[in-house]
Amino acid sequence: MTIGRRTLIRIGARTLAAGTAALDLISVAIQTIVGSLWSYWRGKRPKGAIARQMYFVGNRSLLFVLVTLGFVGMVMVYQTCLLTTKIIDGRNQVGAQWARLLVLDVGPSLTAMMLATRVGAGIAAEVGSMKVTEQLDALRMSGVTPVRYLIVPRFLACIVMSVALSMFGMAASWGAGGLTGYYSFQINPRIFFDLSLVQPSHVAVGIMKAVAFGAAIPIVSGFCGLRAQGSSEGVGAAATAAVIGSSFAVLILDVLISFVAMVALGAGM
Amino acid sequence: MSSGFSLRRQIVSVGALTMAAARDAGGIAVLAFDVARSLLPPTLDGRELVRNLYKMGYRSVPIVVMTALFVGALMVIQFAAFVKQYGATGMIGWGTGYAVLREVGPLLIGLMFSGRVGANNAAELGTMTVTDQIDGLLALAIDPVRYLIVPRVLAMMITLVVMTMIGDAVAILGVMLASSAILDVHPLTVWYGFVDNLGVGDFLHGLAKALTFGAAIALSSCYYGLTVRGGAVGVGRAVNSAVVSAAVSICFLDFLMTYLTA
Amino acid sequence: MTAIMTATASAAAIAPSTFAIELAGVAKRFGPRSVLADVTLRVARGARLGVIGPAAGGKTVLLKLIAGLIRPDAGEIRVAGRIGMLFQNCALFDFLSVADNVAFPLVQEGDVPAAEIAGRVAARLRAVGLAGSERKVPSELSGGMKKRVGLARATVARPDVVLYDEPTAGLDPVTTSKVYQLLRDDHDATGGTAVVVSSDVEAVATFADTIAYVDRGAVRWVGPAASLLDADDPVVRGFARGTA
Repeated sequence: MTIGRRTLIRIGARTLAAGTAALDLISVAIQTIVGSLWSYWRGKRPKGAIARQMYFVGNRSLLFVLVTLGFVGMVMVYQTCLLTTKIIDGRNQVGAQWARLLVLDVGPSLTAMMLATRVGAGIAAEVGSMKVTEQLDALRMSGVTPVRYLIVPRFLACIVMSVALSMFGMAASWGAGGLTGYYSFQINPRIFFDLSLVQPSHVAVGIMKAVAFGAAIPIVSGFCGLRAQGSSEGVGAAATAAVIGSSFAVLILDVLISFVAMVALGAGM
Repeated sequence: MSSGFSLRRQIVSVGALTMAAARDAGGIAVLAFDVARSLLPPTLDGRELVRNLYKMGYRSVPIVVMTALFVGALMVIQFAAFVKQYGATGMIGWGTGYAVLREVGPLLIGLMFSGRVGANNAAELGTMTVTDQIDGLLALAIDPVRYLIVPRVLAMMITLVVMTMIGDAVAILGVMLASSAILDVHPLTVWYGFVDNLGVGDFLHGLAKALTFGAAIALSSCYYGLTVRGGAVGVGRAVNSAVVSAAVSICFLDFLMTYLTA
Repeated sequence: MTAIMTATASAAAIAPSTFAIELAGVAKRFGPRSVLADVTLRVARGARLGVIGPAAGGKTVLLKLIAGLIRPDAGEIRVAGRIGMLFQNCALFDFLSVADNVAFPLVQEGDVPAAEIAGRVAARLRAVGLAGSERKVPSELSGGMKKRVGLARATVARPDVVLYDEPTAGLDPVTTSKVYQLLRDDHDATGGTAVVVSSDVEAVATFADTIAYVDRGAVRWVGPAASLLDADDPVVRGFARGTA
């Protein structure tokens, strides 16, 4: 077989595999969303499953989110102050601008990136190890759909926690940024902590992003877990794929929602 | 599974968390020392180094390119309102370039790299630990640090620097494309704004960060991979810990280096 | 290769409605690899079928097809009644206690009152010799104990057909014979149908009344367990005796 033909076949096979995987992912997504909105409330609900998942996702990620967003806040404020003092002294604007950027974008998306690493790998590893030890098969033997039993509670919990953690993260980031502004650039905290540039539409966009990210992470990670094969290598591979896939999903959704918001709100942004 | 809130339990868990963090930090420091020690004199398995460079570099390029393009577009969208308000189309190249080279580039590419290569590395080493391959090396009197870890650490540092360079370039390209598509600004305007105001210093600032991030990701993933216990579940947990600690380290180091080299 | 065979204790003509499990022309492929090709098999109600054969011959895939966990690429599978399954690695839910594990199938059915569930779980655990271990978690159990919990869970919902995937793999000889004693007691009491996949030919022959030899994706031989060691097929005879 010529190299050309071989490459073509390989590209074809990869595209087919990617296409099938994409369809599977969409199927999992639909099952999760439909499952949580419809049957979950009517059917049998594992007692306290959502609460338990919220604890795993939320409480145990709080410190992580606060620390990372805090540091990023400090860095961003520092860099911006350096930049603005080079042309005109825009230091007084920094706090207000940072608040706006946090609410519109950095808060939800950076929090989601952190959740993608922490929670995404966790969900994929859990679901993945259940798959390779045939626990998912055992669930099916009792008539339980793994997606509904495992992924739906995590889905609902993640959405709630994504919004909650984003808010905490934004507070930490803004606060830490204010500290940096005061200690390194002598910005008066009263001037820094200024919310005048944040409009209700910005808050709406931010919340929408947090919800979308919180929804995407468990779906993508659960999907990766469901496809785990083999034993420990398979679980590790699933966790890796979940982190990257969720991070990407967050990024793509961020661009999409930002773009739509920009078009919809126009100059009002 | 705790069924209710108990102050005592919370305090215990905070204590346990601190202990675990301290233990891991110490373990990573020890590993760093071992790696440094193996580098002088520099005896290195060249083949392993090349193999890891290929595995981590070549396969990461698509992800870095995609990330950088999206980041570029995202920055244009975020700056769009600002630019329209002040009519400062010439500032796009400068503002986004500054952010990309110094901050957003190294940070986001570092996070993506940690997610892909760091997680992969932790999973691989974790599986090797679980299947006793590390013990097998020791039984053959081969130092796992010198044979396995040092090439990976070096490969990750080198690769991340290269990836950041590629990512920076693609991000600027993304900014140019997005500016022309969304803001009707000619790409060259962006380019001139970028070139006229930013220098090699900004570029190197970002690359220095990439180098340290690479080291952090490498040490974290190797440490958690080597200390896996408990089969498949343990490997998953190792990946989780590796990625989380790498993310925290990256953010912290970003802050440290910004302060130190501003 | 087709093999229309019936697996029952007696060779008398059996009317189709008495079959608990029927496979007709079943084939399964994973990617380019054909794992099962044109398998036809019928298991009568109350029969005990042992499935033996070399590794990677298709035994577990066959079992999972019967269980409905995998769909065949060709052919038809019919199973009359409810199915319970004991998995190779027990597949106990590691986030539930032993009692919750065993109760799981009943809880999922939805219409069994809690008191009855508790009673049946206790009865099953007693039957497998694990009364008192209700609160334990799977990670605290030994291999043999896990198998017994898995067995209790597979049978608590009183299934008509029970499938066992390597029930004694990795167990010592004493525990192995105990497990098969449990299987005998269970099936003597319920009269249900059993299919056991096993690499332990001697042990499974103490339980099954018929043996099927599966190799390279097809059923190569079916016959009464008693005549296994003197089977007319030399490959099967050699396999059963442990000679090349």
